[in-house]
Amino acid sequence: MDYSFGIYVIQAAQGLVYGMLLFLVASGLTLVLGMMGVLNVAHAVFYMLGAYFAYSLTLHLGSFWLSLLISPVIVGAVGVLIERFLIRKTYTGGHHQQLLLTFGLFFILGELVRVIWGTAPLEVPTPELFTGSIPLMGMIYPTYRLFILGFSFLVLLGMALVLSRTRIGIIIRAAVTDAGMVEALGVNTPVFFMGVFGGGAFLAALAGVIAAPFLSVYSGMGLDALLDCFVVIVVGGFGSLLGAFIASLMMGQLHSFGILWVPKLAIVFQFLLMAVVLILRPTGLFGEKE
Amino acid sequence: MRGLRLDTLGRGIAIILLLLLPQFLPLIYIHLATEILIYALFAVSFNLLFGYGGLLPFGHVALFGVGAYVAALIFKHFPGMYLPLTLLLTALSGVPIAAIIGFFCLRLKGAYFALISLAFQMFLYAIAMKWRSLAYGDDGMTVNRPDLYLPVLGNLSMRSIENVYYLTLVIVAIGILACYLFLKTPLGNSFVCMRERDIRASYLGYDVFLTRFTVFSASGILAALAGGLFVFFEEFVATSCIDLNMGISVVFMTVIGGPGHYLGPVLGAAFYIFFQDWISSLTKHWWVFMGIVFVGVVLYFEGGLVSLFTNGKVRLWASRLKGG
Repeated sequence: MDYSFGIYVIQAAQGLVYGMLLFLVASGLTLVLGMMGVLNVAHAVFYMLGAYFAYSLTLHLGSFWLSLLISPVIVGAVGVLIERFLIRKTYTGGHHQQLLLTFGLFFILGELVRVIWGTAPLEVPTPELFTGSIPLMGMIYPTYRLFILGFSFLVLLGMALVLSRTRIGIIIRAAVTDAGMVEALGVNTPVFFMGVFGGGAFLAALAGVIAAPFLSVYSGMGLDALLDCFVVIVVGGFGSLLGAFIASLMMGQLHSFGILWVPKLAIVFQFLLMAVVLILRPTGLFGEKE
Repeated sequence: MRGLRLDTLGRGIAIILLLLLPQFLPLIYIHLATEILIYALFAVSFNLLFGYGGLLPFGHVALFGVGAYVAALIFKHFPGMYLPLTLLLTALSGVPIAAIIGFFCLRLKGAYFALISLAFQMFLYAIAMKWRSLAYGDDGMTVNRPDLYLPVLGNLSMRSIENVYYLTLVIVAIGILACYLFLKTPLGNSFVCMRERDIRASYLGYDVFLTRFTVFSASGILAALAGGLFVFFEEFVATSCIDLNMGISVVFMTVIGGPGHYLGPVLGAAFYIFFQDWISSLTKHWWVFMGIVFVGVVLYFEGGLVSLFTNGKVRLWASRLKGG
């Protein structure tokens, strides 16, 4: 009995870790969606790129921590370039053009990753500082997962502070409500869009780097993250950060207990959650606008 | 839709060419032509929703896959069934699945619709992958093409690729014609009207959800039929019939060919297959190049290939105002 209770705690912790990672990826997607109305299908690729860069950088520099610094910066720059030279062309077009463009980018970038790194899963070694384990509820729990929890919590806190306490944060929140009005008030919104897009890519890559030693690095991870993120956005409500946060945590738990109970069809739970939310509240748990 | 027609002469020549194709083409090209026709039918189904309805179901391949598996299971477990009946059952199998998917997806609009549809596809993909006793997962299953007995013509052997080509040609032509005629009906017209502005349509008293739901369900017929023909042609079914790559290919074909014109998907399918055939002989990573072509078309050539023949009179999907 004690033993099985321990399993539940471990699974719940596992779900929390996954949920936090998911939120780091989904938050950028949500902000971009809220500000620019662009649902960036290619967003999950930033997560994947973060993980793959982490692999290469760790391999060549020999330090996970350096790759944690460098990889998100590179990916953020890639995000800025993509926004500036491709996505910006579609703001005057319809949603469909943006969707098709980012959809196409998703596959081009995903295929490029396969060209460069191959299709075999890659391992990123856990940084030495966190290779140990601690006892938890009669079981052993790796400290690296605690690091993920702590780190993503810090990032979350930083993001909340930036959004609520700084001038940039105010402009971002205002642009989510009404980008046109913000521009009319004299803010250079194209530059802001570019920055937020890059920032979203940065966060996704950050999640990719810290996920790399925990989940392995594989070529399908972009697609997996895309689908999960998307369920998060639908469940949480479009463009709502709070909704995305709560939905991410729910998804994490579903993911981890789904695997425990129905290992083969864990995807069913996420799917049921989405279907139920769609029937009861098509705008999502915290969504107001469609 | 006036002004969107290739001239009658051109169409006549095209039909005669299609009929004579097997007489002068080498076997390998008859193969390619059959493949193009099947993909074209699938793309026509996608184009009905995207080009005419303004709906973008990224996971439309779910219906193609359902058709493929239904046809494969019939070929495998009821080998004696009359071929037209099999194809009819396959086509109809798409309807209930499309109805279920549509019921959920059509509650949402635009981008959300697109990705929910993708989520449904991944769900069905997972089932096809994991339910090994039925679908054999990645390994797939091989089936045999049954022969076709017709009253006047007698027994047509489907070992002959030419007969397969003609059968496919007839079915695909019927499918495209049905789609074309459907769009002339009041239901078809109101469906197109909702593409322009669904809110206005609903103020005018049209039931937007019901109309779209009906057409979405009906689009399942063509997609599932295309899936069934695909299995009939390949004599093989596996999860590749319902995976993401298959799903992207139909999006690529339709957009490259020119959505919103009834011949766009056909041109797109032809381009896609020939381009793939050519570039995959040069590089293993042909996907990158296909993706670049696609992105180029999305950004700079939204009329697609068909606009080369229609004097720019194709309705451009990307340049309309946001919303709707």
